[in-house]
Amino acid sequence: MEFDIAYLLRYLPSLLRGLALTVQASGIAILLSILVGLVGACIRVARVPVLSQLIVAYVEFIRNTPLLVQLFFVFFGLPALGLTLSLFWSGVLSLTLWAGAFQVENVRGGLAAIAPGLKEAARALGLNQAQYLRLVGLPLAVRVGLPSMLNTCVSVIKNSAYLSAIGVQELTGVAFDRIASDFRAFEMLAVLLAGYLSVVLSLSAAVRLLEHRLQAPFRR
Amino acid sequence: MNLILENLPLFLIGLRATLLLAVVTLIASTAIGVVLGSLATLKSRPLRILVALYVETFRDIPLIVTIFAIFFGAPYLGVPLEPFPSVALGLSLWGGANGAEIVRAGINSVPHGQPEAARALGLHTGQIYLLILWPQALRAVLPAYTGLLALLFQSTSLGALVGVTEFLKAGGLVIERSTVMLGINPAFQIYAFVLVVYFVISSSLSLLSRRLERRLARGGERNIVAARDAASV
Repeated sequence: MEFDIAYLLRYLPSLLRGLALTVQASGIAILLSILVGLVGACIRVARVPVLSQLIVAYVEFIRNTPLLVQLFFVFFGLPALGLTLSLFWSGVLSLTLWAGAFQVENVRGGLAAIAPGLKEAARALGLNQAQYLRLVGLPLAVRVGLPSMLNTCVSVIKNSAYLSAIGVQELTGVAFDRIASDFRAFEMLAVLLAGYLSVVLSLSAAVRLLEHRLQAPFRR
Repeated sequence: MNLILENLPLFLIGLRATLLLAVVTLIASTAIGVVLGSLATLKSRPLRILVALYVETFRDIPLIVTIFAIFFGAPYLGVPLEPFPSVALGLSLWGGANGAEIVRAGINSVPHGQPEAARALGLHTGQIYLLILWPQALRAVLPAYTGLLALLFQSTSLGALVGVTEFLKAGGLVIERSTVMLGINPAFQIYAFVLVVYFVISSSLSLLSRRLERRLARGGERNIVAARDAASV
Protein backbone atom coordinates (compact mmCIF):
# COMPACT_ATOMS: atom_id res chain seq x y z
CA MET A 1 0.00 0.00 0.00
CA GLU A 2 1.52 3.30 -1.04
CA PHE A 3 1.20 6.81 0.27
CA ASP A 4 -1.69 8.59 -1.47
CA ILE A 5 -1.45 12.38 -1.50
CA ALA A 6 -4.84 12.82 -3.18
CA TYR A 7 -6.48 10.89 -0.34
CA LEU A 8 -4.77 13.12 2.17
CA LEU A 9 -5.89 16.29 0.38
CA ARG A 10 -9.47 15.09 0.27
CA TYR A 11 -9.62 14.96 4.05
CA LEU A 12 -7.48 18.01 4.69
CA PRO A 13 -10.45 20.28 5.52
CA SER A 14 -11.77 17.92 8.21
CA LEU A 15 -8.26 17.44 9.60
CA LEU A 16 -7.88 21.21 9.82
CA ARG A 17 -11.22 21.44 11.62
CA GLY A 18 -9.89 18.81 14.03
CA LEU A 19 -6.71 20.79 14.55
CA ALA A 20 -8.78 23.91 15.22
CA LEU A 21 -10.71 22.02 17.91
CA THR A 22 -7.43 20.77 19.42
CA VAL A 23 -6.13 24.34 19.58
CA GLN A 24 -9.44 25.66 20.95
CA ALA A 25 -9.75 23.08 23.73
CA SER A 26 -6.10 23.36 24.75
CA GLY A 27 -6.17 27.16 24.57
CA ILE A 28 -9.12 27.49 26.92
CA ALA A 29 -7.75 24.83 29.27
CA ILE A 30 -4.32 26.50 29.34
CA LEU A 31 -5.75 29.91 30.28
CA LEU A 32 -8.06 28.49 32.96
CA SER A 33 -5.37 26.22 34.41
CA ILE A 34 -2.94 29.12 34.79
CA LEU A 35 -5.66 30.95 36.70
CA VAL A 36 -6.14 27.88 38.92
CA GLY A 37 -2.37 27.71 39.40
CA LEU A 38 -2.00 31.37 40.46
CA VAL A 39 -4.94 31.30 42.87
CA GLY A 40 -4.05 27.86 44.26
CA ALA A 41 -0.40 28.72 44.85
CA CYS A 42 -1.34 31.97 46.65
CA ILE A 43 -3.73 30.08 48.92
CA ARG A 44 -1.00 27.53 49.67
CA VAL A 45 1.67 30.14 50.38
CA ALA A 46 -0.64 32.36 52.46
CA ARG A 47 -1.58 29.21 54.44
CA VAL A 48 -5.31 29.96 54.34
CA PRO A 49 -6.76 27.40 56.77
CA VAL A 50 -8.92 24.58 55.27
CA LEU A 51 -8.59 25.95 51.71
CA SER A 52 -4.86 25.36 51.80
CA GLN A 53 -5.31 21.71 52.81
CA LEU A 54 -7.95 21.29 50.12
CA ILE A 55 -5.50 22.55 47.49
CA VAL A 56 -2.86 20.06 48.69
CA ALA A 57 -5.39 17.22 48.45
CA TYR A 58 -6.51 18.38 44.99
CA VAL A 59 -2.93 18.54 43.65
CA GLU A 60 -2.00 15.14 45.07
CA PHE A 61 -5.17 13.50 43.80
CA ILE A 62 -4.84 14.83 40.24
CA ARG A 63 -1.15 14.00 39.99
CA ASN A 64 -1.66 10.44 41.19
CA THR A 65 -4.62 9.44 39.03
CA PRO A 66 -4.64 8.86 35.26
CA LEU A 67 -6.02 11.72 33.17
CA LEU A 68 -8.06 9.21 31.16
CA VAL A 69 -9.94 8.07 34.28
CA GLN A 70 -10.47 11.70 35.34
CA LEU A 71 -11.95 12.37 31.91
CA PHE A 72 -14.30 9.36 32.12
CA PHE A 73 -15.34 10.42 35.62
CA VAL A 74 -16.17 13.95 34.45
CA PHE A 75 -17.98 12.86 31.29
CA PHE A 76 -19.80 9.70 32.47
CA GLY A 77 -19.89 10.24 36.24
CA LEU A 78 -20.72 13.88 36.89
CA PRO A 79 -24.20 13.77 35.26
CA ALA A 80 -25.23 11.75 38.36
CA LEU A 81 -24.66 14.95 40.35
CA GLY A 82 -26.79 16.90 37.88
CA LEU A 83 -23.77 18.36 36.10
CA THR A 84 -24.14 17.37 32.45
CA LEU A 85 -21.54 18.93 30.17
CA SER A 86 -21.13 18.64 26.41
CA LEU A 87 -18.31 16.48 25.01
CA PHE A 88 -16.18 19.55 24.36
CA TRP A 89 -16.67 21.12 27.80
CA SER A 90 -16.18 17.82 29.62
CA GLY A 91 -12.82 17.62 27.87
CA VAL A 92 -11.92 21.23 28.65
CA LEU A 93 -12.90 20.80 32.32
CA SER A 94 -10.78 17.63 32.67
CA LEU A 95 -7.77 19.20 30.98
CA THR A 96 -8.15 22.31 33.17
CA LEU A 97 -8.37 20.34 36.41
CA TRP A 98 -5.40 18.19 35.37
CA ALA A 99 -3.15 21.04 34.26
CA GLY A 100 -4.28 23.29 37.13
CA ALA A 101 -2.74 20.90 39.65
CA PHE A 102 0.62 21.05 37.86
CA GLN A 103 0.41 24.84 37.54
CA VAL A 104 -0.20 25.20 41.30
CA GLU A 105 3.07 23.34 41.88
CA ASN A 106 4.89 25.37 39.21
CA VAL A 107 3.84 28.74 40.66
CA ARG A 108 4.44 27.52 44.22
CA GLY A 109 7.95 26.45 43.19
CA GLY A 110 8.51 29.97 41.85
CA LEU A 111 7.22 31.55 45.08
CA ALA A 112 9.45 29.25 47.15
CA ALA A 113 12.49 30.34 45.15
CA ILE A 114 12.10 33.99 46.24
CA ALA A 115 14.73 35.04 48.77
CA PRO A 116 13.14 35.31 52.25
CA GLY A 117 14.70 38.75 52.64
CA LEU A 118 12.33 40.13 50.01
CA LYS A 119 9.29 38.97 51.91
CA GLU A 120 10.64 40.42 55.16
CA ALA A 121 11.42 43.70 53.39
CA ALA A 122 7.86 43.82 52.02
CA ARG A 123 6.52 43.23 55.55
CA ALA A 124 8.77 45.92 56.96
CA LEU A 125 7.48 48.37 54.36
CA GLY A 126 3.96 47.69 55.56
CA LEU A 127 2.65 45.49 52.74
CA ASN A 128 0.14 42.89 53.87
CA GLN A 129 0.13 39.30 52.62
CA ALA A 130 -2.16 40.03 49.65
CA GLN A 131 -0.16 43.08 48.61
CA TYR A 132 3.10 41.16 48.93
CA LEU A 133 1.80 38.38 46.68
CA ARG A 134 0.35 40.75 44.09
CA LEU A 135 3.19 43.28 43.92
CA VAL A 136 6.29 41.26 44.78
CA GLY A 137 5.70 37.52 44.99
CA LEU A 138 3.71 36.62 41.89
CA PRO A 139 5.63 38.76 39.36
CA LEU A 140 8.89 37.17 40.54
CA ALA A 141 7.40 33.69 40.91
CA VAL A 142 5.98 33.69 37.40
CA ARG A 143 9.34 34.76 36.05
CA VAL A 144 11.13 31.91 37.82
CA GLY A 145 8.39 29.37 37.18
CA LEU A 146 7.68 30.32 33.57
CA PRO A 147 9.68 27.52 31.88
CA SER A 148 7.93 24.80 33.89
CA MET A 149 4.57 26.54 33.45
CA LEU A 150 5.06 26.56 29.68
CA ASN A 151 6.10 22.91 29.72
CA THR A 152 2.78 22.14 31.38
CA CYS A 153 1.06 24.13 28.61
CA VAL A 154 2.82 21.99 25.99
CA SER A 155 1.61 18.89 27.87
CA VAL A 156 -1.96 20.21 27.71
CA ILE A 157 -1.76 20.33 23.89
CA LYS A 158 -0.36 16.79 23.76
CA ASN A 159 -2.91 15.50 26.24
CA SER A 160 -5.82 17.11 24.41
CA ALA A 161 -5.51 13.95 22.26
CA TYR A 162 -7.20 12.12 25.18
CA LEU A 163 -10.41 13.95 24.25
CA SER A 164 -10.79 11.60 21.29
CA ALA A 165 -11.47 8.85 23.87
CA ILE A 166 -14.91 10.31 24.66
CA GLY A 167 -15.58 11.15 21.01
CA VAL A 168 -14.46 14.76 20.62
CA GLN A 169 -13.56 15.25 16.96
CA GLU A 170 -10.18 16.87 17.55
CA LEU A 171 -7.10 16.07 15.45
CA THR A 172 -6.52 12.55 16.82
CA GLY A 173 -10.23 11.73 16.74
CA VAL A 174 -10.62 12.78 13.10
CA ALA A 175 -7.49 10.92 12.00
CA PHE A 176 -8.34 7.61 13.68
CA ASP A 177 -11.96 7.75 12.51
CA ARG A 178 -10.61 7.83 8.95
CA ILE A 179 -8.19 4.97 9.66
CA ALA A 180 -11.04 2.89 11.05
CA SER A 181 -13.40 3.52 8.14
CA ASP A 182 -11.09 3.65 5.10
CA PHE A 183 -8.64 0.83 5.89
CA ARG A 184 -5.68 3.12 5.19
CA ALA A 185 -3.26 4.06 7.94
CA PHE A 186 -0.06 5.69 6.72
CA GLU A 187 -1.48 9.00 5.49
CA MET A 188 -3.31 9.80 8.70
CA LEU A 189 -0.45 8.62 10.93
CA ALA A 190 1.90 10.88 8.98
CA VAL A 191 -0.47 13.82 9.56
CA LEU A 192 -0.58 13.13 13.31
CA LEU A 193 3.19 12.76 13.51
CA ALA A 194 3.76 15.98 11.58
CA GLY A 195 0.97 17.86 13.37
CA TYR A 196 1.95 17.11 16.97
CA LEU A 197 5.71 17.21 16.38
CA SER A 198 5.53 20.62 14.71
CA VAL A 199 3.31 22.15 17.39
CA VAL A 200 5.24 20.67 20.33
CA LEU A 201 8.72 21.26 18.89
CA SER A 202 8.03 24.88 17.96
CA LEU A 203 6.58 25.55 21.41
CA SER A 204 9.54 23.85 23.11
CA ALA A 205 11.90 25.98 21.04
CA ALA A 206 9.96 29.07 22.14
CA VAL A 207 10.27 27.94 25.77
CA ARG A 208 14.05 27.59 25.44
CA LEU A 209 14.32 31.00 23.77
CA LEU A 210 12.28 32.59 26.54
CA GLU A 211 14.34 30.83 29.20
CA HIS A 212 17.44 32.29 27.56
CA ARG A 213 15.93 35.79 27.48
CA LEU A 214 14.79 35.60 31.10
CA GLN A 215 18.26 34.55 32.20
CA ALA A 216 19.84 37.52 30.42
CA PRO A 217 20.02 39.90 33.43
CA PHE A 218 21.75 37.21 35.49
CA ARG A 219 24.40 36.27 32.93
CA ARG A 220 27.87 37.60 33.04
CA MET B 1 -20.50 -0.44 47.59
CA ASN B 2 -22.49 -3.65 47.07
CA LEU B 3 -21.96 -3.31 43.36
CA ILE B 4 -18.19 -3.17 43.88
CA LEU B 5 -18.19 -6.25 46.12
CA GLU B 6 -20.41 -8.21 43.72
CA ASN B 7 -18.05 -7.43 40.85
CA LEU B 8 -14.85 -7.92 42.82
CA PRO B 9 -13.62 -10.84 40.63
CA LEU B 10 -13.85 -8.68 37.50
CA PHE B 11 -12.04 -5.79 39.22
CA LEU B 12 -9.29 -8.18 40.35
CA ILE B 13 -8.84 -9.52 36.80
CA GLY B 14 -8.51 -5.91 35.66
CA LEU B 15 -6.08 -4.98 38.41
CA ARG B 16 -3.92 -8.01 37.61
CA ALA B 17 -3.69 -6.96 33.94
CA THR B 18 -2.87 -3.39 35.00
CA LEU B 19 -0.06 -4.51 37.31
CA LEU B 20 1.27 -7.01 34.77
CA LEU B 21 1.32 -4.30 32.11
CA ALA B 22 3.15 -1.94 34.49
CA VAL B 23 5.80 -4.54 35.38
CA VAL B 24 6.37 -5.68 31.79
CA THR B 25 6.72 -2.11 30.53
CA LEU B 26 8.98 -1.14 33.43
CA ILE B 27 11.39 -3.96 32.53
CA ALA B 28 11.35 -3.11 28.82
CA SER B 29 11.66 0.64 29.52
CA THR B 30 14.63 -0.02 31.78
CA ALA B 31 16.37 -2.06 29.07
CA ILE B 32 15.80 0.67 26.45
CA GLY B 33 16.62 3.42 28.94
CA VAL B 34 19.93 1.94 30.11
CA VAL B 35 21.15 1.21 26.58
CA LEU B 36 20.11 4.53 25.01
CA GLY B 37 20.92 6.62 28.08
CA SER B 38 24.44 5.16 28.20
CA LEU B 39 24.94 5.61 24.45
CA ALA B 40 23.99 9.27 24.88
CA THR B 41 26.92 9.77 27.26
CA LEU B 42 29.51 8.40 24.81
CA LYS B 43 31.68 10.79 22.82
CA SER B 44 30.22 9.85 19.42
CA ARG B 45 28.16 12.75 18.06
CA PRO B 46 26.03 10.74 15.55
CA LEU B 47 25.04 8.34 18.34
CA ARG B 48 24.01 11.21 20.61
CA ILE B 49 21.92 12.74 17.83
CA LEU B 50 20.20 9.42 17.11
CA VAL B 51 19.33 8.91 20.77
CA ALA B 52 18.10 12.52 21.07
CA LEU B 53 15.91 11.96 18.00
CA TYR B 54 14.35 8.85 19.54
CA VAL B 55 13.83 10.50 22.92
CA GLU B 56 12.29 13.67 21.48
CA THR B 57 9.99 11.77 19.12
CA PHE B 58 8.44 9.55 21.76
CA ARG B 59 8.25 12.29 24.39
CA ASP B 60 6.61 14.77 22.00
CA ILE B 61 3.99 12.56 20.35
CA PRO B 62 1.01 12.08 22.67
CA LEU B 63 1.27 8.61 24.22
CA ILE B 64 -2.29 7.82 23.17
CA VAL B 65 -1.35 8.49 19.53
CA THR B 66 1.67 6.17 19.78
CA ILE B 67 -0.46 3.37 21.16
CA PHE B 68 -3.23 3.87 18.58
CA ALA B 69 -0.64 4.03 15.81
CA ILE B 70 0.85 0.69 16.88
CA PHE B 71 -2.49 -1.05 17.38
CA PHE B 72 -4.18 0.24 14.21
CA GLY B 73 -1.03 0.58 12.10
CA ALA B 74 0.62 -2.81 12.72
CA PRO B 75 -1.82 -4.80 10.53
CA TYR B 76 -0.85 -2.61 7.54
CA LEU B 77 2.77 -3.66 8.03
CA GLY B 78 1.65 -7.29 7.94
CA VAL B 79 2.15 -7.91 11.68
CA PRO B 80 -1.22 -7.61 13.40
CA LEU B 81 -0.73 -7.19 17.16
CA GLU B 82 -3.12 -8.14 19.96
CA PRO B 83 -4.24 -5.30 22.26
CA PHE B 84 -1.98 -6.25 25.19
CA PRO B 85 1.32 -6.37 23.22
CA SER B 86 0.35 -3.18 21.36
CA VAL B 87 -0.10 -1.26 24.60
CA ALA B 88 2.99 -2.86 26.16
CA LEU B 89 5.06 -1.85 23.13
CA GLY B 90 3.74 1.73 23.05
CA LEU B 91 4.25 2.24 26.78
CA SER B 92 7.75 0.72 26.62
CA LEU B 93 8.84 2.96 23.75
CA TRP B 94 7.58 5.99 25.68
CA GLY B 95 8.97 4.78 29.01
CA GLY B 96 12.28 3.96 27.33
CA ALA B 97 12.55 7.54 26.03
CA ASN B 98 11.96 8.93 29.53
CA GLY B 99 14.19 6.25 31.07
CA ALA B 100 17.02 7.21 28.69
CA GLU B 101 16.80 10.82 29.85
CA ILE B 102 16.95 9.73 33.49
CA VAL B 103 19.89 7.34 32.95
CA ARG B 104 21.77 9.97 30.96
CA ALA B 105 21.28 12.54 33.75
CA GLY B 106 22.33 9.93 36.33
CA ILE B 107 25.56 9.06 34.50
CA ASN B 108 26.33 12.74 33.95
CA SER B 109 25.87 13.34 37.69
CA VAL B 110 29.03 11.30 38.40
CA PRO B 111 31.97 13.75 38.62
CA HIS B 112 33.98 13.75 35.37
CA GLY B 113 37.26 13.15 37.18
CA GLN B 114 36.24 9.59 37.98
CA PRO B 115 35.95 8.11 34.47
CA GLU B 116 39.06 10.07 33.49
CA ALA B 117 41.00 8.61 36.41
CA ALA B 118 39.72 5.13 35.54
CA ARG B 119 40.84 5.61 31.95
CA ALA B 120 44.28 6.67 33.19
CA LEU B 121 44.44 3.50 35.29
CA GLY B 122 43.90 1.47 32.12
CA LEU B 123 40.21 0.48 32.42
CA HIS B 124 38.39 0.21 29.12
CA THR B 125 35.01 1.81 28.38
CA GLY B 126 32.98 -1.28 29.29
CA GLN B 127 34.69 -1.56 32.66
CA ILE B 128 34.24 2.15 33.33
CA TYR B 129 30.46 1.87 32.82
CA LEU B 130 30.10 -1.42 34.69
CA LEU B 131 32.33 -0.64 37.66
CA ILE B 132 32.17 3.14 38.06
CA LEU B 133 29.35 4.94 36.27
CA TRP B 134 26.36 2.57 36.55
CA PRO B 135 26.67 1.74 40.27
CA GLN B 136 26.76 5.43 41.19
CA ALA B 137 24.13 6.45 38.64
CA LEU B 138 21.83 3.79 40.11
CA ARG B 139 21.65 5.64 43.43
CA ALA B 140 21.18 9.01 41.75
CA VAL B 141 18.27 7.90 39.57
CA LEU B 142 16.26 5.95 42.17
CA PRO B 143 13.82 8.79 43.03
CA ALA B 144 13.26 9.75 39.39
CA TYR B 145 12.87 6.10 38.46
CA THR B 146 10.20 5.48 41.06
CA GLY B 147 8.43 8.55 39.71
CA LEU B 148 8.56 7.06 36.20
CA LEU B 149 7.09 3.81 37.53
CA ALA B 150 4.15 5.78 38.97
CA LEU B 151 3.58 7.39 35.55
CA LEU B 152 3.85 4.05 33.72
CA PHE B 153 1.36 2.56 36.15
CA GLN B 154 -1.09 5.42 35.50
CA SER B 155 -0.60 5.25 31.75
CA THR B 156 -1.58 1.56 31.59
CA SER B 157 -5.16 2.89 31.73
CA LEU B 158 -4.76 3.70 28.01
CA GLY B 159 -5.07 -0.06 27.44
CA ALA B 160 -8.82 0.35 27.98
CA LEU B 161 -9.07 2.24 24.67
CA VAL B 162 -7.75 -0.59 22.50
CA GLY B 163 -9.52 -3.40 24.34
CA VAL B 164 -7.22 -4.62 27.11
CA THR B 165 -9.35 -5.60 30.10
CA GLU B 166 -7.25 -3.70 32.61
CA PHE B 167 -8.58 -1.91 35.68
CA LEU B 168 -10.32 1.02 33.94
CA LYS B 169 -11.91 -1.27 31.34
CA ALA B 170 -13.10 -3.56 34.16
CA GLY B 171 -14.86 -0.53 35.66
CA GLY B 172 -16.44 0.23 32.29
CA LEU B 173 -17.66 -3.36 31.99
CA VAL B 174 -19.23 -3.28 35.45
CA ILE B 175 -21.09 -0.08 34.50
CA GLU B 176 -22.35 -1.62 31.24
CA ARG B 177 -23.39 -4.82 32.98
CA SER B 178 -25.35 -2.94 35.67
CA THR B 179 -27.02 -0.74 33.08
CA VAL B 180 -28.18 -3.74 31.05
CA MET B 181 -29.07 -6.10 33.89
CA LEU B 182 -30.24 -3.77 36.68
CA GLY B 183 -31.29 -0.71 34.70
CA ILE B 184 -29.12 1.61 36.79
CA ASN B 185 -26.20 3.78 35.75
CA PRO B 186 -23.52 3.61 38.47
CA ALA B 187 -20.87 5.50 36.42
CA PHE B 188 -20.28 8.01 39.22
CA GLN B 189 -19.65 5.46 41.97
CA ILE B 190 -17.64 3.04 39.82
CA TYR B 191 -15.33 5.63 38.25
CA ALA B 192 -14.89 7.25 41.69
CA PHE B 193 -13.83 3.85 43.03
CA VAL B 194 -11.47 3.34 40.06
CA LEU B 195 -9.92 6.79 40.71
CA VAL B 196 -9.38 5.97 44.38
CA VAL B 197 -7.63 2.66 43.64
CA TYR B 198 -5.30 4.30 41.13
CA PHE B 199 -4.66 7.06 43.67
CA VAL B 200 -3.75 4.68 46.50
CA ILE B 201 -1.21 2.74 44.42
CA SER B 202 0.28 5.71 42.55
CA SER B 203 0.58 7.93 45.63
CA SER B 204 2.42 5.18 47.54
CA LEU B 205 4.94 5.13 44.70
CA SER B 206 5.20 8.94 44.73
CA LEU B 207 5.68 8.88 48.49
CA LEU B 208 8.44 6.28 48.12
CA SER B 209 10.07 8.46 45.47
CA ARG B 210 10.09 11.49 47.79
CA ARG B 211 11.41 9.41 50.72
CA LEU B 212 14.26 8.10 48.56
CA GLU B 213 15.08 11.64 47.44
CA ARG B 214 15.19 12.88 51.05
CA ARG B 215 17.18 9.92 52.31
CA LEU B 216 19.77 10.18 49.53
CA ALA B 217 20.05 13.93 50.15
CA ARG B 218 20.57 13.30 53.87
CA GLY B 219 23.21 10.70 53.06
CA GLY B 220 25.25 13.47 51.45
CA GLU B 221 24.33 12.54 47.88
CA ARG B 222 24.50 15.80 45.97
CA ASN B 223 23.74 14.68 42.46
CA ILE B 224 20.23 13.27 42.59
CA VAL B 225 18.11 13.32 39.45
CA ALA B 226 14.99 15.11 40.69
CA ALA B 227 11.78 13.12 40.44
CA ARG B 228 9.90 16.00 38.85
CA ASP B 229 12.36 16.05 35.95
CA ALA B 230 11.70 12.38 35.41
CA ALA B 231 9.24 12.32 32.61
CA SER B 232 7.21 14.35 30.23
CA VAL B 233 3.58 13.50 30.80
